[in-house]
Amino acid sequence: MTSRERVRTALNHRAPDRVPLELGGTANSSIAALAYEKLKAHLGVQAPTRLLTKQGQVADVDDAVRERFRIDTRPLRIRPAERWEDVALPDDAYQDEWGVIWQRPPGMNSYFLHHSPFEAEATPEAVRRHRWPDPADPGRVRGLAEEARRLAAETDQAIIFDCTASFWAEAEWLRGFAGFYSDLITNTAFMHALLDKVLETKLGMIGPALEAVRGHVDVILSGDDLGAQHAPMISMAMYREFVRPRQKALFDFLRRNGGGAKILYHCDGAIVPFLPDLIQIGIDALNPVQVSAAGMGDTARLKREYGKDLSFWGGVDTARVLPFGSPQEIRDEVRRRIEDLGRDGGLVLGAVHNIQEEVPPENVCALFEAGLALGSS
Amino acid sequence: MERTERAARFDGWDPGMLAAAVAGGDPQGALRLVQAALAAGAPAPAIVQEGILPGLDRLGERFSCGEAFLPELMVGAKAAIGALDFLRPHLEREPSAYVGTVVLGTVQGDMHDIGKGLVAMLLRSAGFEVVDLGSNVSGARFREAVEERRARLVGMSALLTTTMQGMGGIIRTLREGPAGRAARIAVGGAPLDAAFAERIGADGYAKDATAAVALFRKFQAEVGAAEVRP
Repeated sequence: MTSRERVRTALNHRAPDRVPLELGGTANSSIAALAYEKLKAHLGVQAPTRLLTKQGQVADVDDAVRERFRIDTRPLRIRPAERWEDVALPDDAYQDEWGVIWQRPPGMNSYFLHHSPFEAEATPEAVRRHRWPDPADPGRVRGLAEEARRLAAETDQAIIFDCTASFWAEAEWLRGFAGFYSDLITNTAFMHALLDKVLETKLGMIGPALEAVRGHVDVILSGDDLGAQHAPMISMAMYREFVRPRQKALFDFLRRNGGGAKILYHCDGAIVPFLPDLIQIGIDALNPVQVSAAGMGDTARLKREYGKDLSFWGGVDTARVLPFGSPQEIRDEVRRRIEDLGRDGGLVLGAVHNIQEEVPPENVCALFEAGLALGSS
Repeated sequence: MERTERAARFDGWDPGMLAAAVAGGDPQGALRLVQAALAAGAPAPAIVQEGILPGLDRLGERFSCGEAFLPELMVGAKAAIGALDFLRPHLEREPSAYVGTVVLGTVQGDMHDIGKGLVAMLLRSAGFEVVDLGSNVSGARFREAVEERRARLVGMSALLTTTMQGMGGIIRTLREGPAGRAARIAVGGAPLDAAFAERIGADGYAKDATAAVALFRKFQAEVGAAEVRP
């Protein structure tokens, strides 16, 4: 069974020859650049570290590492615009094409939200006046079709296509955190206008990208964070008013234009209450299954209640076990998640979110060695 | 009997309605009720104690048991802050109404501002003075702020398993100063728990923003108000 067949089989809820393994298939399931440096030194892999994203500073995993751990996935990403160049600003800051300003504080490795263009004026008129990214910028698909064809023909792994299929996150960055969450109650006309415009812009970008990769990718990544540690960020009523209809439009669009690729939805935190809706509107798999968040740790129950329709992507705890656990504790964690989530397919095993800086290389090895050994039995 | 007393004390205003306006996230309503209460002769501290704080408590309970969420919490806090701002000139004439100063920050190496920002907002809505040091705050910076204000209350947040490891060192730095030694320190953030808080020498752990407010109220009752008043 090739890696690609293994992932497809698992996502079709049939038992593959072993549980597929994930590292670096998406920018949410990779490894922090600094941890990756240590890992490569440990493995004796010599290659300069390439980044999957500038903002989060996570590594684009090398084939040598992928082969060493028998990783079954690889990423493919929509390209950056070519008619737009991020505006470099003083103090290691830059403005992106949405008008959002990001800054990297001294001594830090990633960029953080610094200024939101709708911080001062949150009105539907301001949404209309704003300078939005050009969805039709040809740079976004420059070389993409060739790359997708090449990866499909020359590599074995399942190809995970990230076309930035999200809208909630961008809207939050555009408005700023505090305003965003209170606007959901006190400024709903603006919120609807903002979310509609972001989604419209995104669909304009995603359409040509899907056309370029159709038939060559196995999974399309979507994602918007709706969960906090103890509960969802918003109520079910608010989810159904602001999020669900737009998600449905997005997932329908991905399904219609995705050439049969599965939809992988990334959402951190405690989101059990939303799972039935998400399944109903068409997600195939959930990443990262943040087992440290309320209701998400009982993975046996998640499989029992949702596993018929939903696959799980991730699952190995990064809050405690991966950074601080012994290799034996990591093996125990891997065994538990495979037993809970892996029956009859439906599991692509990896760390919950990106492996963080402090995780020792020995623990990364323990994770994937255990995944390989325990996933076949 | 109690009903009669309450009716007499609060003639012309209804603390329950003010509490409901705060809990329900109705800033205009809360402000109108505060104005009405003042016009009816209710003392400002009583308006806070009997109307605004119970409203926040109710909202906090609804948040804790999953009936209210982030947006409701933020709008409720805004309603309380608006009401408190309006009451401030009246409260300043009443020293007994003063609640303490909390020095707040996300620890060095960590830029996660959201949870800490929510704690700041809820503390302000409960009448605390908040010195928000922002994110990526070193032990020296915490110490400087605490000593300068002689603050008795400190809150630290970390969202990363890496940065939480630095919290013990930050607390040690903070304890080097006289005010820091006397201060009550609360910690919070997703990867923490009570056992960790105890291990690093914090005085308490709060699992979420509403729990943090309850914890600081308890601390405040223990330490009194010895800091430099703004």
